[in-house]
Amino acid sequence: MRGKFALITKIIFLGITTAILALLTESAFAQKQYIIGSFILVAIFALNIVYLTNVSIPFKFFLPGILFFFAFVIAPIFFTVQMSGYKYQTGNYLSKSAALEQVLNLGAEPDAQGTTFDITVGRTSSNEYAILVSDIANDKYFISTKDKRIDVPKASAKFDVNGVAIAAPNFTSMTAVALAANDAYSRIHYLYQGKYYIAIEGQNAGGVFRQALTYSAKTGILTNSVTGATYVDNHKGNFAKVGAPTEILSPGWRAPIWFENYSRLITDHQVRTPLIRVFIWTFFFAFFSVLSTFGVGLLLAIALNRAMRGRRIYRSVLILPYAMPSIMSILIWAGMFDSDFGAVNSILHTNIHWFQNPSLARAVVLLVNLWLGFPYFYLICSGSLQAIPSELLEAAAIDGANPRQVFRKITLPLLLQILSPLLIASFAFNFNNFNLIYLLTGGGPTQTLNGEIAGSTDILISYTYKVAFGSKTFQDFGLASAISVIIFLMIASISMYGLRRSKVMETFE
Amino acid sequence: MSKWVRENLWRHGVAIGMCLFSLFPLYLVILSSLKTSGSLQVGSFIPHEISLDNYRYLFHSPKTPYVLWFRNSLVIASTVAISSVVIGAASAFAFSRLKFRGKKLGIRLLLLVQMFPAVLALSAVYVIMERVYTFAPKIGLGSQGGLILVYLGGSMGVNIWLLKGFVDSIPVELDEAAKIDGASAVQTYWLIFIPLATPVLAVVCLLSFIGTFNEFILARLFLVEMNGRTIAVGLQQFIGGQYASNWGPFAAGSILASIPIVIIFLSLQRFIVNGLTAGSVKG
Repeated sequence: MRGKFALITKIIFLGITTAILALLTESAFAQKQYIIGSFILVAIFALNIVYLTNVSIPFKFFLPGILFFFAFVIAPIFFTVQMSGYKYQTGNYLSKSAALEQVLNLGAEPDAQGTTFDITVGRTSSNEYAILVSDIANDKYFISTKDKRIDVPKASAKFDVNGVAIAAPNFTSMTAVALAANDAYSRIHYLYQGKYYIAIEGQNAGGVFRQALTYSAKTGILTNSVTGATYVDNHKGNFAKVGAPTEILSPGWRAPIWFENYSRLITDHQVRTPLIRVFIWTFFFAFFSVLSTFGVGLLLAIALNRAMRGRRIYRSVLILPYAMPSIMSILIWAGMFDSDFGAVNSILHTNIHWFQNPSLARAVVLLVNLWLGFPYFYLICSGSLQAIPSELLEAAAIDGANPRQVFRKITLPLLLQILSPLLIASFAFNFNNFNLIYLLTGGGPTQTLNGEIAGSTDILISYTYKVAFGSKTFQDFGLASAISVIIFLMIASISMYGLRRSKVMETFE
Repeated sequence: MSKWVRENLWRHGVAIGMCLFSLFPLYLVILSSLKTSGSLQVGSFIPHEISLDNYRYLFHSPKTPYVLWFRNSLVIASTVAISSVVIGAASAFAFSRLKFRGKKLGIRLLLLVQMFPAVLALSAVYVIMERVYTFAPKIGLGSQGGLILVYLGGSMGVNIWLLKGFVDSIPVELDEAAKIDGASAVQTYWLIFIPLATPVLAVVCLLSFIGTFNEFILARLFLVEMNGRTIAVGLQQFIGGQYASNWGPFAAGSILASIPIVIIFLSLQRFIVNGLTAGSVKG
């Protein structure tokens, strides 16, 4: 009975999941998202095979986990690594074919007089988009589609008060509402004469243009028929003018440039200078944060490491900063240091601009991080102090060591040994303490005058975020990805080192 | 008397000093949430007037759909917490108890990859979800569904790793006994492991809840609409650097948002402290 119920539940569940995923695959393929579509398709097969047969028992357990893990952890990491090899930034955001299409559109040149016409947009009797053009200056009227042009005798057309033709045989005008709902009509090039066409410039106006740029797929050369200039792919994501490589056409596309993003980190001094500064501060910040939180936590743990009155109350108050949601605490601290209205200035009766001065801002960041972090080490240290065998301490005391010597020679070394993996983990955590920096100072103060985006309190991770998303006018996903990969390698080696130490500890005990 | 002073005075001194430091911002924020004027300037440490205007503002002003934000945070965080533990526990069980090829490699990969900070893959996640949006707007960029998926995926590594530690600590004799009695792996999981592990799973679930509740940057990137925001994003955007005018309601809002988390945390203190020494750092 139980088995049957489980089986039915399983089949219903699997059926629903499969149906949803199948719908997703279909729409993914319809939108040409082949990689994502294929992934979902593979997921469908994997789910059905694993749960309908007994091929692999372990897979029954971790398949859902693995699918999520691949989709949202592994894939983004791969993608990050891949992007780091591309020129992928504002102006180079599209695929090559989309960029080419836009370049060609932008290559339109108006005719010598800059002729414009009053037009009425509609459809022909064969339901094709068409415009009814009124060349009032020459008293000529015609209907134009993307490949045909039919002159309309004046007598057969109807006009509005301004003398603009609004109706003609074989032509049905469209309402403004219908036009607003679908702008497909506005992208069509309506035939004018020769190489010239009429492009829509509004619901009632069109201008005469010709395509100046032509692209030859065979040679890969863009030619401007007006100026005679030729452009070729510069292999850095843009078409560049032959003979003048700095003259490039926009937009560009995301192009593989291999290790150029990485080499820019070293060679391009506009990237290198802020990066080195941020790098040094990141290490200092992470190191000092660990040192201060550990120091204060340890001091407290020692102070409260004996039965004394009020210990429970102290303990519950002391862990409050750790129990608060850190986001809220950081925002609260940011408000307290606000220069005009913050509580700190008002208590000290000063008017200090805490976040305008680099050194002060850094001091505030460290102070707030001390507040956020010391309860963690207090909790850990008081646990670990208890774990140190009291015989050791007593033996030392009998041998005539004073309390200070006992602490320096026995307690501290032992603690450091026990806690070193946690100290390293805390270092790694602070190394990437994005929320603190982003919400407290925003990385500032920043010297915006010279266009520098790295601020005095920016750590690597917040700087990377700024490179990728920080500015509304320029975003560089490629460079940001390259920095990400470097940070990951550093964090991974630091953590691996910490882990190895903790393994060593296990065997040691 | 003098011995007591010598041995204990500094202890109380250190403890009281740090307690004041801990309480300082919290006290101020409570104080200013009860003031009528918006600013957080403190004339004195004793409140002269107590008013609930700021709390009222929070619930009635159209600028702060606080109840919606709160609901969003709760829905998102609990969906992520529950689903990730349900999915993660099964994986952790497999990694801890079952024998299969590539297990060691899998564990190492898990360990390595969970060190990759989510913020760093942000641009990649952004681009991927932008593409998902083109065919499934409900789970793409800008939707709560998409955010939940991203959280869920992102929490997988850490959660499986954390849960594996807990599973390892459950005595293996029990499921070996079940195995001898002829139970399959799936039966062992449902009938032996799950009942035993429920308290532990609940703790991990709540930790995951706190973690998601505290997440800011993905939520900021995903939730653009005012009514769809989480508390963290909503309040951060609400003050938006203008502490002067909006401080009072913000103070009230942050207190209300913190209360459930502080309660969860304090009641789980014992477990969390044990988990801390296992090497997890709360975000």
